[in-house]
Amino acid sequence: MRRGGATSFRWMVAPALVFAAAMIVLPFLYAGWLSLQETMIGMPSRFAGFGNYARLARDAEFWNGLRLTLLLYLLSLGLQLVAGTWLGLLLARADAARGLVRTVLVSPFMLPPVVVGMMAIVILDPGLGVANYLLGQIGVAPRLFLADPDTVILTVALVDTWQWTPFVALIVLGGYLSLPQELFEAAEIDGAGGWRRFWHVTLPLLAPTLVTAAVLRSVDLLRFFDVIYITTSGGPGNASTTLNILAYRRGFEFFEFGYAAAIMVTLSAMVFGTVLAFARLRRSVAW
Amino acid sequence: MVTRGLVTRRRVMRLLDSVQVGLVVLVLIAPVAWMVASAFKPRTEVAAYPPRFLFTPVLDNFAELFRRTDFLDNTLNSLIVAGGSTLLGLALAFPAAFAMSWHRMSWPATATLFARMAPGTLFLLPWLMMFTALGLVGSLWALVLTHAVITLPVAIWVLLPYFDGMPRELVESAQIDGCRQHQTLLRVVLPIAMPGVVVAAILCFVFSWNYFLFALVLSGFDSKTAIVASFNFIGEGVTNWGALMAAATVIAIPPLVLTLLIQRRLVGGLAAGAVKG
Repeated sequence: MRRGGATSFRWMVAPALVFAAAMIVLPFLYAGWLSLQETMIGMPSRFAGFGNYARLARDAEFWNGLRLTLLLYLLSLGLQLVAGTWLGLLLARADAARGLVRTVLVSPFMLPPVVVGMMAIVILDPGLGVANYLLGQIGVAPRLFLADPDTVILTVALVDTWQWTPFVALIVLGGYLSLPQELFEAAEIDGAGGWRRFWHVTLPLLAPTLVTAAVLRSVDLLRFFDVIYITTSGGPGNASTTLNILAYRRGFEFFEFGYAAAIMVTLSAMVFGTVLAFARLRRSVAW
Repeated sequence: MVTRGLVTRRRVMRLLDSVQVGLVVLVLIAPVAWMVASAFKPRTEVAAYPPRFLFTPVLDNFAELFRRTDFLDNTLNSLIVAGGSTLLGLALAFPAAFAMSWHRMSWPATATLFARMAPGTLFLLPWLMMFTALGLVGSLWALVLTHAVITLPVAIWVLLPYFDGMPRELVESAQIDGCRQHQTLLRVVLPIAMPGVVVAAILCFVFSWNYFLFALVLSGFDSKTAIVASFNFIGEGVTNWGALMAAATVIAIPPLVLTLLIQRRLVGGLAAGAVKG
């Protein structure tokens, strides 16, 4: 009989690994291989090397998608980090993140994206929506929101900010409460005023927490799909066709599998690259 | 005088904080409240302009939703897919996370993060071909299997800290007492890790219930989930906002109720993996 301490449980990882190999690793490799194929409906696919990637570089829709992806990403991430830090510290000061308030805070980011999209469609409807009615009450001219090529990305960013700022705030709150509170007291005794205390004490101490929040939001924002596809399907025109939407349309509406795979692989590389960059950043802001 | 000024200042600041918290709560709650209110409005008043804030609530929209569409079947499909993928994800993740924690293996956990980061569209193309070849497109199996790709990493990352905090002696003495490994896992480890399993199960269920993209492509007429069905209502150009908001309200209930149960652990569960990865 084996002795207890020497028992190996390693085999218990096997079922999960087999599943992951079949459902994640192989499909990923296949998608990579597919991105090197030229595929057309009704024709045998043929090896094209990096032809699809070369086509990407020449495709105005790709650059448009990249621009919109980055715009949505930077806009949303910026808004959510700033608002989330403000809200998180407010919750800490007011000791408010409990009971009913906490329930209200977690509700938006637990809602299915489809529900958020449907709410946006009804509330932000240019003609009959309650948003324009309320804006009218305070003398603001009606907006087209999702129907205006110039404001559609901003509107989506604001919807996502509504949904995810509480999440960032709760992460900030958790990070803040885990800090040694004496530091803040010391800074107060030293006579550092509100803003100085925030810039020189609170913010540097919160930096690792903010990087964590940024990583989580980056992964979701760079591959943003649901709310855009549900509300505008990438429109009006191509005004909200981000890379993920573009990849989906190429793949599942036009059945250009090879080209779509090339877009998806590029987007994946962007996500992994961003996460790695944040991992480096976290090491440099660690204290 | 100085101290009194300070006290008043503190009071004003505190009041200002409460006002800000109140405003945040209002902004967060208003859209959801509008959705629920619209679901209960009489048909003629849902899209009335100017919008009606006072009305007599009726159940017409829900009646129409369930009577004139297949929404009940769609909801059942959603329950099967979310329940099935939660069970599958947990069944795979529970032993795996235990072994990973016991032997301090970190690479499998890091590898699962990969699945969490890649865009879902990337996997969809190969899956579509795979499931077409197997004749599974349009079946609930395809959805359970693909949604388990979402639930498995979540379950692993939520369970790991619970196993890490478990006293090793318990497992070792069970082994010495002659327990077989799977018995040890079920009789000794599972009861201790139960709180973690509950949190993992709830998060898995909610993630799977909410997930849109895979079912959008891989479901057929009979396996359509409630999420995809509601999306199709929008696509059909249905301007019947009442039924639309009724559908949205129905889909929103499970995640909101379930997360109430694990509120305190929610953010930690969602952020799991990001802290180390």
